[in-house]
Amino acid sequence: MSAACVLMALACGNAMADSGTEFPAFSLRGFGTIGLAHSSEDKADFLANDLQAKGAGYSRDWSPDVDSRVGIQLDAKFMSQLSGVVQVVSEQRSDGSYRPEVEWANVKYEVTPDLSLRAGRIVLPTFMVSDYRKVGYAMPWVRPPVEVYSLVPLTRSDGADVSYRMQFGEFKNIVQITYGESSADLVDSGGKVKGRNGWGISDTLEHGPATLRVSYFKSDFSVDSPGLNALFDGFRQFGPQGVAIANKYEADNKSFSFISVGGSYDPGKWFVMGEWGLTDSQSIYGKREAWYVSGGYRFGKFTPYATYSRVGMKSKTSDPGLPPPIPQVSASAAELNAQLNTILAEGPDQATVSLGTRWDFAKNAAFKMQFDHSDIGKGSPGTLDHMQPGFKPGGKYNVFSVVIDFLF
Amino acid sequence: MSFLNRIEMSALGTALFFMAGCAMADVVVVVSPSSSVTAMSQNQVSDIFLGKASRFPNGDRAVPLDLEEGSDERDQFYMKYAGKSPAQVRAHWSKIVFTGKGLPPKEVLHSQEIKKLIAENHNLIGYMDRSMVDAKVKVVAVME
Repeated sequence: MSAACVLMALACGNAMADSGTEFPAFSLRGFGTIGLAHSSEDKADFLANDLQAKGAGYSRDWSPDVDSRVGIQLDAKFMSQLSGVVQVVSEQRSDGSYRPEVEWANVKYEVTPDLSLRAGRIVLPTFMVSDYRKVGYAMPWVRPPVEVYSLVPLTRSDGADVSYRMQFGEFKNIVQITYGESSADLVDSGGKVKGRNGWGISDTLEHGPATLRVSYFKSDFSVDSPGLNALFDGFRQFGPQGVAIANKYEADNKSFSFISVGGSYDPGKWFVMGEWGLTDSQSIYGKREAWYVSGGYRFGKFTPYATYSRVGMKSKTSDPGLPPPIPQVSASAAELNAQLNTILAEGPDQATVSLGTRWDFAKNAAFKMQFDHSDIGKGSPGTLDHMQPGFKPGGKYNVFSVVIDFLF
Repeated sequence: MSFLNRIEMSALGTALFFMAGCAMADVVVVVSPSSSVTAMSQNQVSDIFLGKASRFPNGDRAVPLDLEEGSDERDQFYMKYAGKSPAQVRAHWSKIVFTGKGLPPKEVLHSQEIKKLIAENHNLIGYMDRSMVDAKVKVVAVME
């Protein structure tokens, strides 16, 4: 019985034969992006987020790894109020492979048409387009502004959420509360980042073409990486001062918090949107602030757009470390101080101007071309990663990208 | 753009309409005659079809039905009531679908089928060419 339903659902897509719906009902959908990105900085990699192993520039002249991905989603409706979804995405991982991973897997229960509960793996509602940042077709740009969207690289939460929708006059409001645990593998250090006890609340208010969104998220965050573990163990050898430094910077069950405010106005022929975000990791990763504004105009099938985005550190990017005379007396103490400062200096400080255009050339497919000019702040590598010997921080670089986004 | 709530039944009215030079589909929004909904605004209609609202103004649950993707009536409906091109509608739904927040309206291949379904269920809402309207459905919104 259910096999026949699956076959019928797959054969007919969304078509409904009669006014009653057969349960369970299944539908299969997908999305993807094929992209190439080129960076003018060949002594470091341009990445779309911190969880990618290889990017454009140093690793490859023209890299398909920055933006290419494919996602498949199975939606199941078990009863009129109970449904489930599984989404698997294949994109470049921290180990360089394209290993498919379950991005989402959750069950939703609609208590009323306005109140729904979900349990399982859910998208972390950080920024306005965070939820669908992997669906290129849904966004005007090649990728969400890197400065802003790299603030919180974790994309999903294992736990539960509640959504409540209300309407007053022409205003529509949705509140979403999330609780769960997130984790991700780090790239170079071969370690893992984990966020436990993660609470998030986001509110989206809409009126006609205008949308306003506020989001707050807090979790107990820990990073387990051999390199950092060794650094902090090293500091702890140097008495109470060393222990104080290690405790200050180690990401061991620290309170990570994030707040963002975003708005968009999209009457149809044109759009304007902007977001601002602030993260506080209470650790070596510091406090970061980022924002962007973007606008575009639709000329038939073409949508040219422009974006300005910025990220900067709000916390100190250097530390005196173990005080004199310790580093003068001990070479390893001096080495620890140097290493700590190298990592602190790696905080992103960058501004980018992007110009691009989207062309909806076929049903379910869009071509995009984007040029980014980035200006990195003094001493910082910006949002670049895998810096090679000879890399000069604080410079400028350009990225040129072409992608085809599709749905199926 | 303003909305009007009236049911056009006269052949004269249809003839005048064609004489006015509009050769393309004129799309109206319909519900079941058994529904207590009488009039809806452009925003109320587009909110339901874009998944932003799930109830009629009277509080009843609203279940939208789409015509075939690529059909004139569908393209006209979304341009007139939501101000969106087919690509914009697809992009809009991909944001909702691929975040597990909902699914697009069921697609029904023919206006005749839509009429049959709507006549039997006061929660359904659909759109069709004005010329297809008959006693099986009730018009609740018209965009000039």
